[in-house]
Amino acid sequence: MTCMPLHRPRGSTRRMFLKTSAAAVGLGLVAARAPAVLGQAKEFKGVTLNGACFQHAYTNVLKEFLKEFEEKTGMRVNFETPAFPVYNQRADLDLSTRGSAWDFLNITFIYSGRWIGAGWMSSLEEFLSDRNATPPDWDAGDFVSGAQASLTDAKGTRYGFAWEAGAMIMAASRYDLIEKAGMKMPETFDQLRQVCAAVDGKDGVKAFVNDNLHHWHWPPYLMGWGGKVFANPPENLTPALDSREAVESAEYYANLLRQYSPSGALSYTMDQGALAQRTGRANLRTQAIAWLAPLATAPDSTVKTTVRFAYMPRGPAGAFPGSVSHGFGIPVGAKNKRAAWEFIKWALSKEMVRRAALEKGYIAVCRKSVIDDPQYRKNMTLNGQDLAALYLRVLEESGRLGYMKYRVVPVYPQVGDKMHKAIERIVTNQQPAREAMAQAQREAVLELKKAGIKIDA
Amino acid sequence: MALLAAVVLFPFLWLLQMSVKPTADINVFPPRLLFTPTGAHYRALWEGAFPVSLWNSTVVSATTTLLALCVGVPAAFALSRARFRHEGAIAFWILATRMAPPIAFTLPYFLIYRHLDLLDTRLGLVVIYLTFNLSLVIWMMRSFFDATPRSLDEAAWIDGASVWQGFVRVTLPLATPGITATAILCFLFSWNDFFFALILTRTRAITAPVAVVNFLNYEGWEWGKIAAGSTLVLLPVLVFSLLVRKYLVGGLTAGAVRA
Amino acid sequence: MKRALAGRRDRTYTLCLLPSLVVLAVVTLAPTVYLVATSLTPLDLTRPATALDFSQPSGNYALLLHDDRFWNSVWVQAKLSAGTVAFQLVGGLALGLLLAVRSGFVEACRTLFLIPMVLPPIVVAIMWKVLYTPDISPVHSALAALGLPIPALITHPDWALPAIVIADVWEWLPFTALMVLAALKMMPEEALEAARIDGAAGWQVLRHVVLPYLRPALLVAGLFRLIDSVKAFPLIYILTDGGPGTVTEVTNYYAFRQAFNFSYLGFSSAITLALVAAVFLLSWWLVRVVGARGDVE
Repeated sequence: MTCMPLHRPRGSTRRMFLKTSAAAVGLGLVAARAPAVLGQAKEFKGVTLNGACFQHAYTNVLKEFLKEFEEKTGMRVNFETPAFPVYNQRADLDLSTRGSAWDFLNITFIYSGRWIGAGWMSSLEEFLSDRNATPPDWDAGDFVSGAQASLTDAKGTRYGFAWEAGAMIMAASRYDLIEKAGMKMPETFDQLRQVCAAVDGKDGVKAFVNDNLHHWHWPPYLMGWGGKVFANPPENLTPALDSREAVESAEYYANLLRQYSPSGALSYTMDQGALAQRTGRANLRTQAIAWLAPLATAPDSTVKTTVRFAYMPRGPAGAFPGSVSHGFGIPVGAKNKRAAWEFIKWALSKEMVRRAALEKGYIAVCRKSVIDDPQYRKNMTLNGQDLAALYLRVLEESGRLGYMKYRVVPVYPQVGDKMHKAIERIVTNQQPAREAMAQAQREAVLELKKAGIKIDA
Repeated sequence: MALLAAVVLFPFLWLLQMSVKPTADINVFPPRLLFTPTGAHYRALWEGAFPVSLWNSTVVSATTTLLALCVGVPAAFALSRARFRHEGAIAFWILATRMAPPIAFTLPYFLIYRHLDLLDTRLGLVVIYLTFNLSLVIWMMRSFFDATPRSLDEAAWIDGASVWQGFVRVTLPLATPGITATAILCFLFSWNDFFFALILTRTRAITAPVAVVNFLNYEGWEWGKIAAGSTLVLLPVLVFSLLVRKYLVGGLTAGAVRA
Repeated sequence: MKRALAGRRDRTYTLCLLPSLVVLAVVTLAPTVYLVATSLTPLDLTRPATALDFSQPSGNYALLLHDDRFWNSVWVQAKLSAGTVAFQLVGGLALGLLLAVRSGFVEACRTLFLIPMVLPPIVVAIMWKVLYTPDISPVHSALAALGLPIPALITHPDWALPAIVIADVWEWLPFTALMVLAALKMMPEEALEAARIDGAAGWQVLRHVVLPYLRPALLVAGLFRLIDSVKAFPLIYILTDGGPGTVTEVTNYYAFRQAFNFSYLGFSSAITLALVAAVFLLSWWLVRVVGARGDVE
């Protein structure tokens, strides 16, 4: 790492310290546990840690501060952050072989049931109960319980700690156009459609935009209509994709993309969607808050003064904004588990989470102590709107109603793919909604059979 | 003709100019044609993990080429000189190996490598690349040996040389241009592989083509880096393949057709 | 004495061939056997016990027969193969004839035209991704500036597959052109002369003399491209990911997705074996054609 002459003296004392601490650890093995402070940090000198996550605002923050961690511990960290689908595929592939390519990985929400259920992630309980590995002031209980749910199994064993509690809201990048049309932020699906019809193309701005993660975006509309993905997850996974509600909501959502979104939006990545809004080419979007808050804060945003946020619109059955959580965990095949835990502890320490929130404007934090901080609430008041309140309301509602269970069942990736393809077919007029959803249902049933899961006849 | 060439090469040239275009100019709509070239993307690649993947690509491609030549060249010689039982079946088997879809090998290799601990290792890639390189060497070299006169072998035998000595001292030196061409083609096909490396490598043995795809990030399309990485991957290919352009068709058809 | 020598020579030849056969057996035959065995199990990596479950050996194949998405992928494959092969033959023929002109300038161009074919396929895919992404594409912006804006092709249900065909034709046109060129070089001058003396016009010469002569070369080139089209991967992976919907999801890609996105390795092995069978038949045909021409053997 850094070998500048200036650091030499410190380096040599560090080496001496390492020797003594190694001896201490050796003694400790014979006698009892090594003293808490001694083994800490220096025992990882020279370790190369491999880790990965999909690229996100939070990983950007971590990368910025990574040098500090490397200097503190003497480790070298290769932290890869490819695109969301690329990351999921490569991580899944490696985990499926119990591979050792990565020491820490992100447990992607939709894969959490699959990865934890198949025994591909390590339990973190051993580290948590060891006071040397985890000092009490790290405070594992400080994490929002809703965000931890997908990272914990039925027995309460913890496999990861959340760095994002994503909460879906709605943002209009050009609220002025909506006002000009004599309307307000839509609160229902009907109003959303009316607003889109009224403002589409005004001032060269398309009314709506979203990205290509259709199996994330569409279910809130499905549930708003009163439909479901599975009959009763996790006990009964019979898909319900061909219900009347599913067909109607799919047609509704597909129409938003077909009629009111920019050309090519169907294949937009999350960032392309954000860019379309930030540059004022598209107006409304329903997506996780981490993608929408930058409309008010990003230096290159052209819509800072016209952006407006709101709760997810409701349908006949209510409002069901999506919520997710992503957390860091350790694969079972990892070679440097203890060092990986050191990284996770650092990446999700109170200090780091606070810095991400207060210095970098990262909103989707999972530590209660930060969320309750008055400074956080003040920072998250954007363009006169209390975003933190919106955010917490989503987390609370999804926790209270428990409607996100469908997303963490082990077969979700496969079934999600079927929904995704169905929405694409509807948007591009390849099939009417009824046919597309009937096909998705048939395909989903086949997938579940392959996975050996019993479903209703 | 010049116009046609320009049109045909347009996608290629556009990528090259993107690799030296400042990021601010890449994302401008409509695209800017005049800009101050920058080496920033290349510098960013150099400072990141990309050089490791280039090195992996080089090591893997060179090793598998060498192995394929060592094993395959004598076999090509034997097939050229002697008659064997089931020769037709052997020939078809070798050609079918070249024709098989990569996924047919990827699936079992992926499963077997889990147990042998060969996932994400350069050795693992070297072995799977033999599936196409060995058949390539045998087919290509066989036609080169067919073109070297048998009478020279026989003259060597009369001088008391064994078959092997005759092969090493007489035939092999004559076939040097053929071996060079074959080696370059093996190297290129290994270097160009994407599918095998995508499935069988992760971090340690990752090759350059897979590393480039990893730049397709979702926050901010790093088009400058993608273009620069692509350019680095394609440069050696361009140089080498122009050297062996005479043999390209032979290589692409695994020597089944000479052109 | 002589016979003993000949016997020793034969032994040497066998020893030369043997290592290759052993290596080939290990690196190709053994995995093929493994593939067949896997296709008889419901192997799903999330449930390791399924690896040795041979209780329903035909289970995957039965599922396959009723899998709409598989049959759709076969149909997509057929369209992609037909499109790429047809355009590459026609275009390759035209380009080959153009390049056959003897002049220093054309000779230089020949080398330039090789470039698409030798580029790493993944880089080709990235180049076309740039051209097909409206946000940064010079083609899109040029057409928009001319007042002819076009929709994003790779997300358009009617255009996504043609978009892939265009990129693939661009990449492999030089190959068919080179084969045409090689055949033309070997064409006897007398036949052309005779036709000209009979007063045949240019296109008549082309139709009645040159084309029949090129037919076998075109057939071989077409078969090679056909077999390779079954392996289409990088273009689809980078450009469309099989979409929109499953418009560009070829069989190879479907097998990839089942195996390496969802860990259904048993099921994917069955799909792959179907592919292998198809490729095998085509190769057999190819060997017969090439064999009849005398280029092989």
